[in-house]
Amino acid sequence: MDANGSPQSPAGDWRSYERMLLPPIQDLHKLDVYTKHGGYDRLRRVLEDDDVAPDDITNEVKASGLTGRGGAGFPTGVKWTFMPEPDDRPRFLGVNGDESEPGTFKDRQVMEYNPHLMFEGILLAGYAMHIDTAYVYTRGEYTDWIALMAEQLENAYEAGYVGENILGSDFSMDIVLHKGAGAYICGEETSLMESLEGKRGYPRYKPPFPAQKGIFSCPTTINNVETLAHVPLIVQEGGDAYSTIGAEDMPGAALYGMSGHVKQPGVYEYPTGMLLSDLIYDVCGGMARGEDLKAVVPGGSSVPPIRADQIDGLSMNDESLGEVGSRTGTFCPLVLDEETDMVSFTRRVAHFYQDETCGQCTPCREGTGWLENILARIDEGEGRMRDIDLILELCDNMDGGRTICAFADGAVGPIRAAVKRFRDEFEAKCEASVYPVSTDVSAGPDSAVAATE
Amino acid sequence: MSSFDIQRPIVELPDQNPDPEFSDEELVWTDAEEEKIEAWKEQYPEDQAAIMKVLWLAQEKFGYLPPEVIKFCGETLDMSFSQAYGVATFYHQYYKEEKGTYVLDVCTCFSCQVCGGYDILHYLEEKLGVHAGETTDDGMFTVQEAECLGSCGSAPMMEITNGVYVHNLTPEKIDDLIESLRAGEVPSFTSMTLPQDEEELGGNRRTDVESTEAYQTQPRAEHMD
Repeated sequence: MDANGSPQSPAGDWRSYERMLLPPIQDLHKLDVYTKHGGYDRLRRVLEDDDVAPDDITNEVKASGLTGRGGAGFPTGVKWTFMPEPDDRPRFLGVNGDESEPGTFKDRQVMEYNPHLMFEGILLAGYAMHIDTAYVYTRGEYTDWIALMAEQLENAYEAGYVGENILGSDFSMDIVLHKGAGAYICGEETSLMESLEGKRGYPRYKPPFPAQKGIFSCPTTINNVETLAHVPLIVQEGGDAYSTIGAEDMPGAALYGMSGHVKQPGVYEYPTGMLLSDLIYDVCGGMARGEDLKAVVPGGSSVPPIRADQIDGLSMNDESLGEVGSRTGTFCPLVLDEETDMVSFTRRVAHFYQDETCGQCTPCREGTGWLENILARIDEGEGRMRDIDLILELCDNMDGGRTICAFADGAVGPIRAAVKRFRDEFEAKCEASVYPVSTDVSAGPDSAVAATE
Repeated sequence: MSSFDIQRPIVELPDQNPDPEFSDEELVWTDAEEEKIEAWKEQYPEDQAAIMKVLWLAQEKFGYLPPEVIKFCGETLDMSFSQAYGVATFYHQYYKEEKGTYVLDVCTCFSCQVCGGYDILHYLEEKLGVHAGETTDDGMFTVQEAECLGSCGSAPMMEITNGVYVHNLTPEKIDDLIESLRAGEVPSFTSMTLPQDEEELGGNRRTDVESTEAYQTQPRAEHMD
């Protein structure tokens, strides 16, 4: 590694990167400081310049290549074009601040340290898509941050940046804060819409997609908090210029939420496409407890973990992580060292999904429970060798469109990958079983791994 | 018989229809509360959408949400009991039964798990003499196991009664925390600093908070070596 970072890194010269989402400015969360540093200027320019049409913003966002930062990574500009032509129905923007994907804690930093950038992004998105009202759905646990946002939103209303005839133009838009109450599934866009309507957060079938039939059956777009915070930056820099930052397949800045066994965890801002090895050994100062690296979960619980021997040359963009069957997800890598018991870890992942399944679809409601029970049995030393294949078989019966939403896929992905990639650990625990079982003919030929070799 | 049989054990469920805790006289909104609810209704095209905010308000007012309170909240927004009950029971943070003065939600989800979340939970259980999910005899503390609370860089951590976060937990920190909670002092909001700010801003970027902390990794607990 040379002084200017690894030359092969898609993030480029990340060491001299200047932060844009969370620039080093004291008290940037206050309205007066934000406006002093060019805040809301982009909105003002767009509203005052008659040559800038709403579609121009959408086109800039499309040109920037910005992808959603909430986990799915769908191109944001493309999503915006799904909105139908304005008619007499109201139109809504759902701002997804549910952030309950385990391992993810970066949207909160935007809410705390740069809420006005998010509001400005909401307003620009609102202008582009002719939105009447934006609902900021924040997870219920973030009480203190919701209070902070409410205070700043009130300031923005008073200063005329939000509400009727924004900055003297004929564009009006409201922003409403909506507090959740602790349900992971409400981060799923159709579940979020149900929850906003005052119902149980059950995901809906797609189609109809939110753009056709969203909140209160009206045209709706759902975007993540961080995704919207990028929009003012894109309007400022221009879509083409923005697309040159970071990795080609998902360009732009990214907030990396580093956690686990690293020396200096926390939220860092760098371009997308950072090498995992740079993030762990350079940015975070290496492993905390002097142990070797064992695994990395690159972006929240729903993405498959990567073994240490696979991370060479891997970078934080979908193209690169796709080579080992993983994804960037929420850009929040969890780093695990050699001491980690992968069976206990996988059991806890399964427990999370069992706890958070909404219970609508049978494969997911029952499957997550069975997965947890089987993994608990193995973890407690009572597993049978055929349990390992039973887990994989169960996984195959849960994902791939067998359920209404992608929750089951999210549950199955990491568990299947963990069992396949760390199979020796699962086998070691089963071998110590007090219930040794030899080949079971009833379970078919796939389970023909003798427990008592 | 293995204790991990696929068949779930039959557990005793709490009484689903207990005698009402609150009388009809108690189940009224003050003028200030009604004003708030009216304002919330204005924010949505349909009144029902305000149910989550009304349930939060009721939980603040009554402490928890027994069936009669849920029914009362539903009636406020012209919802049937079953609709309101469906919402209240879907979300973790609405308390359906009475809790202690302080509810300690210890995060044990895997980011905290691998950094000692269960050590903290077990330490707390032992210290207070309760299991997760139970309330101490004096009604002071309820200990709960929580799913990811979204502060993985400061693992292990906990949330106190749907409010303030306490970060980078150690047994010593738990001792101090319990002592101050017993004295009625709830810790104030702590702002987590960004590592990149250390060089560029000299640490904290907010001048309006008193308490700041840096994300850090706790050393491995001794018994785990």
